[in-house]
Amino acid sequence: MFVHSKNFLCLVLFLCLSGVSTDTLGQDKAPPKAPKTRETTPVPHAEPPEPFHEDGVTSERSMSVDPNVAVKLCVSEGALKINGWNRNEVRVFVKNGRKFGMKALEKSAETGKVNWLWIAHNSVGPPRPASDCLAGDSIEIDAPIGTSFDLSGRAARTTVDSIKKIKVKIVEGVIMLRNITGGINAYTSQGDVMVENSGGAIALESTTGNIVAIEVSPGQIGDLLRAKTNSGAITLQKVEHRQIEASSISGSLLFDGKFLSGGIYNFRTSNGSIRLAIPAASSCTFKATYGFGSFKSEIPIKIITENDTPRARTVVATLGSGDAAVSLTTSSGSIGIRKTDAKP
Amino acid sequence: MNGKCFEIGTIQAFLDGETTPEVSLRLTRHVAECDGCARLMSTAEEESSLVFSALERELDALVPTQRLWSRINDSIAEEKSSAPFWQKIMLFARMALVNPSLTAAAGVVLVLGMFAAFVSLNDSVDSNIVSSPQTDQPNDPAPADGGTAEIATTADGSAIPSELELDPAHAVTISRLSRKAIRDLAVSVNARSSQHEIKPVTADYRVAAVDSYLPGEESYVKTISDLKENVDTQKDTVMTPSNRVSYERDMAVVNDSIKRMRDVVKKNPRNQAARQVLYSSYQDKIDLLNSVAQREELIASLR
Repeated sequence: MFVHSKNFLCLVLFLCLSGVSTDTLGQDKAPPKAPKTRETTPVPHAEPPEPFHEDGVTSERSMSVDPNVAVKLCVSEGALKINGWNRNEVRVFVKNGRKFGMKALEKSAETGKVNWLWIAHNSVGPPRPASDCLAGDSIEIDAPIGTSFDLSGRAARTTVDSIKKIKVKIVEGVIMLRNITGGINAYTSQGDVMVENSGGAIALESTTGNIVAIEVSPGQIGDLLRAKTNSGAITLQKVEHRQIEASSISGSLLFDGKFLSGGIYNFRTSNGSIRLAIPAASSCTFKATYGFGSFKSEIPIKIITENDTPRARTVVATLGSGDAAVSLTTSSGSIGIRKTDAKP
Repeated sequence: MNGKCFEIGTIQAFLDGETTPEVSLRLTRHVAECDGCARLMSTAEEESSLVFSALERELDALVPTQRLWSRINDSIAEEKSSAPFWQKIMLFARMALVNPSLTAAAGVVLVLGMFAAFVSLNDSVDSNIVSSPQTDQPNDPAPADGGTAEIATTADGSAIPSELELDPAHAVTISRLSRKAIRDLAVSVNARSSQHEIKPVTADYRVAAVDSYLPGEESYVKTISDLKENVDTQKDTVMTPSNRVSYERDMAVVNDSIKRMRDVVKKNPRNQAARQVLYSSYQDKIDLLNSVAQREELIASLR
């Protein structure tokens, strides 16, 4: 037994020593492998583009166009102002910026005038990021009031007034839209979106900014108003759309107006409050679902069902004859209904 | 019976199928008209479903016959060996007096035995010292691709047992127990389970994969998983620091909401309000992830 034990101890000692020596030698010969990393596709950075004052000129151009022209452009940096006027002409003014050109993409078969126009930087040499985009201290565009704009940009403060329709997508910057009659599709990743006195199907989206819509109405039956932000607040005032979808994650939501007969209204927040300011004589059916929040109403409502389970509640209640359907959902926020003096 | 209302025992017996057809009929008619009894029955049903979900594993488990027999045999052997020490001494002394040479031989064997025990004890200590690093090697939780692994641990850091320890005696008779007895048993099972409170290592959406999915939850979780994989590789390059702060804050808000609502739904699967808020939170998370992808797409389009 003793002999076996000694042999075993010798064997163990030998193995330990050989293991240590192998480790020591191995450190000199083979360096440790680098940890595996996942291959990623390179994406353009959100850094500001190269200085746009490369041309550094102030220039102005104009072109005769169809009254219902569609204009496409991109702005890499600058304050952009678009204004509708009663002339069948597009005029572009760039102050202290890049040189640009106006290219007719299509002409009307009836009038022979340009009905699709592209305004772009006259880039020379190899294509670079945003090389087609306009840039300058300020960019002003006058266009017929029937114009539809398709605009994209990086960092641009955008103000648009009195045109027919606009689709705008920018990475950073505030978007202010007024008197747009034929519909709006506005997105900014960082900045507020404000819409006033406009009509048609409206989609407003911001990642971190606030959304405000005042005095907006549908262009035709079924037009939807959609407002969505992650961190910002949403304010809807005097909105006449019969279909509204508004959602925010950590921001609050305010609806100040009337619920129209047959309308469908969906308001949703995760952590923000939902506030409704409506006339006492409104006619709607509420379905309020909330997790850790609360539900209060200044206006006497008739509760149809109340599912009062711990940690999550659903209240279905009517006001008047209950014509409009209003869905209010929040996880941690509160829901409140306030009375206004406005007539229904 | 309390007035026209039924006692909880009768309602429980009805749910267990132990009432006579006449009583069942009367109770059914009464519950249809009485809100109080309807609520009582609903509560009892929920309790039953809770109990049976807690005991699902035990009820579905096969009876471990072999293990039971080995346990029984071990118990018998143990009982035999646990005879009082003085009885053994007396027996040995009696034998020694009968045969002195046998006593001498036994003495030699005893001395040798003690020596052997001493040597073998030393050997075992040495071998333990050598082999301990192997046994102490932690289980490697990291997946091969280097991604984060989902590990469920107990509050005290120990591993969760693969299945609840079940007494063989219980295993044999559990299927014959009445619902009431099972409910009592569930209390003790829950008490044991509470000692192994599951604590996710990372507050991640994939925690759902550790537990079973709630109805309708799987598609949300898979969509989020796909989106998150894409966004995680891009968010550092696509988002500015302020955007990133907002994103992480909103993600924390949504994750907290999902976690809390999921707990509520798990406790009471019939809570439709909690379910709606849960799915709404999942949708928020998808929207949040999409917002990063949308920004990335926009930046890429501005080349």
